[in-house]
Amino acid sequence: MFADGLFIGFAVLAVLGAVGLVLFRHPMNGAMSFVVTLISLAGLYALLSAKLIFALQLIVYAGAIMSLIVFIIMFLNIQPGDLPQEETKLFYVLGGGIVVLPIGLFLAKIVKSLPEHSTEILGNNFGGVKEVGLLLFRDWLIPFEIVSILLLVSLVGAVILAGKRGTTK
Amino acid sequence: MMHCYLYLSIILFCLGIIGVIARRNVFTVFMSVELMLNAANLAFITFSRVHESMDGHVLAMMVMAVAAAEAALALAVVILLHKHKSKLDTNVFSLLKG
Amino acid sequence: MEQSVNYLGLIPLFPLLGAVLIGLLHVFTCNRTKLPEKVYGILACVGPVLSFVMALKVFVALKGLPPESRFLVHKAFTWFSVGDLHINMGFLADPLSCLMLLFVTFIGSLIHIYSIGYMGGDKNYGKFFAYMNLFLGSMLVLVLGDGPVVMFVGWEGVGLCSYLLISFYSEDRSNVLAGNKAFIVNRVGDLGFVLGMSFLFWAIGAQGFDYLSLKAHVNDPAMTQGVLLTVCLLLFVGATGKSAQIPLYVWLPDAMAGPTPVSALIHAATMVTAGVYMVARFSFLYAEVALAGSIVAWVGILTALLAAIFGMFQEDIKKVLAYSTVSQLGYMFAGVGVAAYSAGIFHVFTHAFFKALLFLGAGSVIYALHHEQNIWKMGGLKNKMPKTYVTMVIGALALAGCPPFSGFFSKDEILYSALATGHFGIWAVGVLVAGMTAYYTFRMIFVVFHGEPRDHHAYEHAQESPAVMTVPLIILAVGALFAGLLNLPAIFGGDQIVSHWLAPSVTEHHPHAGVFVEILAIGASVVAFAIGIKIAYAKFGKGAPEPSFTGFADFAYHKFYVDELYDKVIVQPYKAIGSSIWKVIEPNVTDAPVKGVARLYMVLGTAFKVFQVGYVRVYALYMVLGLSLMSLLLSQSLN
Repeated sequence: MFADGLFIGFAVLAVLGAVGLVLFRHPMNGAMSFVVTLISLAGLYALLSAKLIFALQLIVYAGAIMSLIVFIIMFLNIQPGDLPQEETKLFYVLGGGIVVLPIGLFLAKIVKSLPEHSTEILGNNFGGVKEVGLLLFRDWLIPFEIVSILLLVSLVGAVILAGKRGTTK
Repeated sequence: MMHCYLYLSIILFCLGIIGVIARRNVFTVFMSVELMLNAANLAFITFSRVHESMDGHVLAMMVMAVAAAEAALALAVVILLHKHKSKLDTNVFSLLKG
Repeated sequence: MEQSVNYLGLIPLFPLLGAVLIGLLHVFTCNRTKLPEKVYGILACVGPVLSFVMALKVFVALKGLPPESRFLVHKAFTWFSVGDLHINMGFLADPLSCLMLLFVTFIGSLIHIYSIGYMGGDKNYGKFFAYMNLFLGSMLVLVLGDGPVVMFVGWEGVGLCSYLLISFYSEDRSNVLAGNKAFIVNRVGDLGFVLGMSFLFWAIGAQGFDYLSLKAHVNDPAMTQGVLLTVCLLLFVGATGKSAQIPLYVWLPDAMAGPTPVSALIHAATMVTAGVYMVARFSFLYAEVALAGSIVAWVGILTALLAAIFGMFQEDIKKVLAYSTVSQLGYMFAGVGVAAYSAGIFHVFTHAFFKALLFLGAGSVIYALHHEQNIWKMGGLKNKMPKTYVTMVIGALALAGCPPFSGFFSKDEILYSALATGHFGIWAVGVLVAGMTAYYTFRMIFVVFHGEPRDHHAYEHAQESPAVMTVPLIILAVGALFAGLLNLPAIFGGDQIVSHWLAPSVTEHHPHAGVFVEILAIGASVVAFAIGIKIAYAKFGKGAPEPSFTGFADFAYHKFYVDELYDKVIVQPYKAIGSSIWKVIEPNVTDAPVKGVARLYMVLGTAFKVFQVGYVRVYALYMVLGLSLMSLLLSQSLN
């Protein structure tokens, strides 16, 4: 019961944060509501017995990625004139909602056909660092290494893209 | 109970799509893409809990790593675009026209 | 009944191989050091001479067979087959084709040898001989073919070579135009030939389309009088094209633009007689319907009259001989038209000798005077060029029909047959033309060889031609003298050897009209000849000045303006139609749909360009739209 209440709370927060992200004009406001979504998602992960992922979500997503985004938003020193004039924003959002509706309904129909399963909090042998580590370094070793190379590539790419150049345009 | 998590994932995913197609602000579009990735992560974790297998957790970690890499590069591009045109509107960049 | 021999196929093959070899040699040495002319000359004469030797072998072989079964056949390969019908590249040697074969290869060889001297110094020496060999090969295919299809292959081949050789001196545009004219007018005739052949095939060709099968089926019920008449007349249209009869004779005088050996070989002795040969070959058709024969005979004799009128006023020595050829061809058609096939073919045989002789002699004169062809610039050459003079006089006497030269016997045979079968009109016109022939022939001889030279500068430099040119003249003169003995009629004590030889090949009924009619015919011919030569001697024997023409003479000098008439009535309207198609129909009817399709694509493209807005957001929207539609459909199907 307590878990259900938590679930509802976190779910509502997540949806509200997402709506805020989509509707706010200034990206800083959007980023803040997105952080709310991310934190509630972390809570939802915890409710699903995903201990490590709950921690990683907070550290990596809400902590690293969002701080990077907020930093860039602040770095660019956005003036009100830089932002686009979106008078018809609501209209487009509603139109987009109509377009997206069939996709959502289709997915819902698929989900409805799945058998129900409970999501009680499991004990020690699920979702912890040890279990994830064992899987990661045994079955998923190669994808792990490839992801590290991917991160290296993106690091190099980011430096090249945003760094100083010999001849600036 | 599992269904509720999945419905929530669907809602967040659709909100992400709406954010991509309905907004012109570069940052909003980018963060909506991240929102979609998070919705997918939620579905992964849910199914992992259902099958009581850790593969979903590992995949969710991979998704997070990819999202981080993508975020770095996308923001570098945003900086470049801002340097070029001093505007954050996706409608300004229309060289693909025609 | 028929024997199959392999060497028949070699007879056309030798000249054709020679043509290919010489042609390749010429092409590959065009821009490098040229081969000596001797090489080309010897290579070129090898083919025809070998073919002549083989022709003799064929003759000996045929003589050894009994008359009813004098056939030699050879099937080289199956050209194509449709269902049960097989068209073979086959050859047939029977008495008729053997006779044609003998004189074609003999005179062909002689003219090749003559050309070695005449064409000396020409820069396209090799090309000339390649074309000549090709011509001879095609003519042999025509003569030896065992069916109308193979004959048509040779027919077209000789037409092509005629065009190539007429326009041989291609730097001069008028020569090329003359070649075009020859080919195009020939083509008109060929259409008639093809239609006739197709009609024949439709009627009786299904069981085999060669002469022997056709002859066997000529009395099938499908061959009604109407069909027979149509086929005969259509085939005759082809003959008028190839053998220069009315109305398609206009190319032959212009064909004199080619080198003189070409005129001798192609336009006197061999190619132009192909039409007569064809009518004789199809004698089994013409014998069935008398009307066709009458039409052929009348067209022939009228052509003879018309050409003789023209020949009386020409000033170019080769044009005189060209019109003379047309006139004599008319005689030949008159002969085969009144069903005297052997008489017509015999005249082909003798005409080949004396006409080739006259042309080669004219060539000798032209060569000596450095390519001067106007008779009013010649004169008094008989002392300077004795051999040429004597041989040309022999040829002229033969042409004019003076007894006992060959031309007298062959021409007399035709006229006698016309009289004996009741064609008085044809006989009368024929006698008149004989007189005119004597007149214009000796006009030419007297003006060129007698009297005072009209152009002293050219006269000084004239000399007798080299032996390689005079020896063929002498050989041909012997033939022109004595060839008549081969078909002496009974009244002179002869056996009519040629007529009997040809009997198995042609469907002929020899008329017997009594001795009185024969003497009348002979007498009339001799009297006409004498009157003609007397008038010519009176006007030109003592050296006459160049005349100026008025009235009818001027009209005849301009050849009755027939060429201009054809140009105005046929050529210009045709060109106008072509021009209007080019300017009006082509842009609007054939180009417009193609351009329209291109424009359609452009329009469609511009229409679809609306969707390419350039905003990535909109492209993402398109993706989502697609996804949404797909999920709609899938949801329906999931129900």
